[in-house]
Amino acid sequence: MATFARFLVYLFIAVCVIVIAVILGAYGSWYFAWLVGTVMMVLIAAAGAALLDTQEAEERRGGGH
Amino acid sequence: MIDNTVVELSRWQFAATALYHFLFVPLTLGLSFLLAAMETVYVTTGRDIYRRMAHFWGKLFLINFALGVATGLTMEFQFGTNWSFYSSFVGDTFGAPLAIEGLMAFFMESTFVGLMVFGWERLTRAQHLIVTYLVALGSNLSAVWILVANGFMQDPQGAHFNPLTMRMELTSFADLIFNSDAQSKFVHTSIAGYVTAAMFVGGISAFYMLRGRHMELARRSFRMAALFGVLATAGVITLGDALGFVGGQAQPTKLAAMEALWKTEPAPMPFNVVAAPSQSARRNLWEIQVPAALSLLVTHTLDGTVPAVDELEQRAAERIRNGIPAVAALKRLAQDPADAQAMAQFRAHEKDLGYGFLVQRYAPGQDASKATPDAIERAARDTIPQVAPIFWSFRIMVGLGLLMLGYFILAVIYTLRNQVEHKRGFLRVALWSIPVPFIACEMGWLVAEIGRQPWTVYQILPTWMSASTHSVAYLAFSLTGFVVLYSIFIAIEMYLMVKAIRDGPDPDGPVDTVPPAEAAAGPGMAGAAMPFASRWEG
Repeated sequence: MATFARFLVYLFIAVCVIVIAVILGAYGSWYFAWLVGTVMMVLIAAAGAALLDTQEAEERRGGGH
Repeated sequence: MIDNTVVELSRWQFAATALYHFLFVPLTLGLSFLLAAMETVYVTTGRDIYRRMAHFWGKLFLINFALGVATGLTMEFQFGTNWSFYSSFVGDTFGAPLAIEGLMAFFMESTFVGLMVFGWERLTRAQHLIVTYLVALGSNLSAVWILVANGFMQDPQGAHFNPLTMRMELTSFADLIFNSDAQSKFVHTSIAGYVTAAMFVGGISAFYMLRGRHMELARRSFRMAALFGVLATAGVITLGDALGFVGGQAQPTKLAAMEALWKTEPAPMPFNVVAAPSQSARRNLWEIQVPAALSLLVTHTLDGTVPAVDELEQRAAERIRNGIPAVAALKRLAQDPADAQAMAQFRAHEKDLGYGFLVQRYAPGQDASKATPDAIERAARDTIPQVAPIFWSFRIMVGLGLLMLGYFILAVIYTLRNQVEHKRGFLRVALWSIPVPFIACEMGWLVAEIGRQPWTVYQILPTWMSASTHSVAYLAFSLTGFVVLYSIFIAIEMYLMVKAIRDGPDPDGPVDTVPPAEAAAGPGMAGAAMPFASRWEG
């Protein structure tokens, strides 16, 4: 039951996102571009930090050998 | 008629407060999303360094946010105090986005800023992350509404003038918020804020790296700022082009001023890289041009033409002649709203009503119907804003934008190769470049707002009609007061920022929670994300 409820919540969120995307895409293409672009910039910045952790860990491992 | 000095002082007062306010806004817009990115890494990896980063940059964000709110408050009041006719004329339309912005800033944004600052120990990691994203979203949504209001001033959409109430009345809220000018300007402004934050974080991280302090925080902050900044700068440049395209169609006078175009030429038109525009001589005293580039840049074709000042003045003179009967009809309707003949005359000429208003100031007894050919010519010349400040502000903004793109490309290369802390010359450039995006943002604002002149609402309401009937002494006093007060605010911001940066992140903070053995195992991004589910529960 809990899984089904969670499924319904996620389904509702997905429908809302699709509706917003369709409306923004049709009438506010630059707003939509901002939304998508901002998410991309945040995620790439975050991924860069995670990559730095990995690079440092590899450096330490290389130094250890 | 309102004294021209009063109008000019009212303009200076609004410009001064807006320019001060706009020193704080871009950093708030961008730093909020950088904080969200840092906290996202904290929640997904669980590494304490990212929590400390979010804490430290959050402290700087808060200083900036507080002073940004303090400087922004007065601007909304100025519409009523200094621009009362404007407020009465467009309040039905302009008031809606402004009110929503106020609600958004003071309810959503401020509430979540409070939760973000005081919620570290009271909320789970996931809850706090959501709050940080809501702060970022709230800050940027505030900007949406301000720029929807500004978009209406630049390209009035979604409203219609009612001659019986003498007001612009809202006809379509959708047209107001989906106005192309508002959309492209919001994205351009918001992403310019991201660039500002990236330069700020990168510059301060460079300062720490030069001093060899807080290296773990500085390297990570610099990496995130560089990646965020390079994408944002590319976005700003793309949106700048879009804004030029959209704005060029809606406001050809601004475009002609931005490019110092005095005479319309056949396609393909040359681009003035640099020039010395002279408003009195109505030509460029000298210029360096790139052949055919203007048509390509502005119309995205080689056979497109851009109307220049000479053609735009001719068009304006025609519209002034057409607008004069609209003003005359409006006066008759004010005396007798049931006058059907006057209403018919108004309807036939209403699209040029604003141009009729424009000539009133030069007409004998301010009676537009008595306007002489000389008055019409003067009013037509007024439709061209001051070319030199717009031309040079635009070039400074674009030049600095391109410089920042070059800076971020190098920053990304150095940081991805883990070489940045050894590039001391580059780090010094990063530190001393912190003011660059602020200057670029201010220049952009000048282009947008000086370029809108002589209108408060483009082609509808002239600036000279919009101001309140204050005395010169009153405005000189309040302008001086604002400049002194806001300069103190800037000094306070600088002092608090420098103090917080010198103190650095909490030196007694907990150490990284990832054990060295785990770090040495090199979990990578996928590995780092694995503990996410359990940590999400807080």
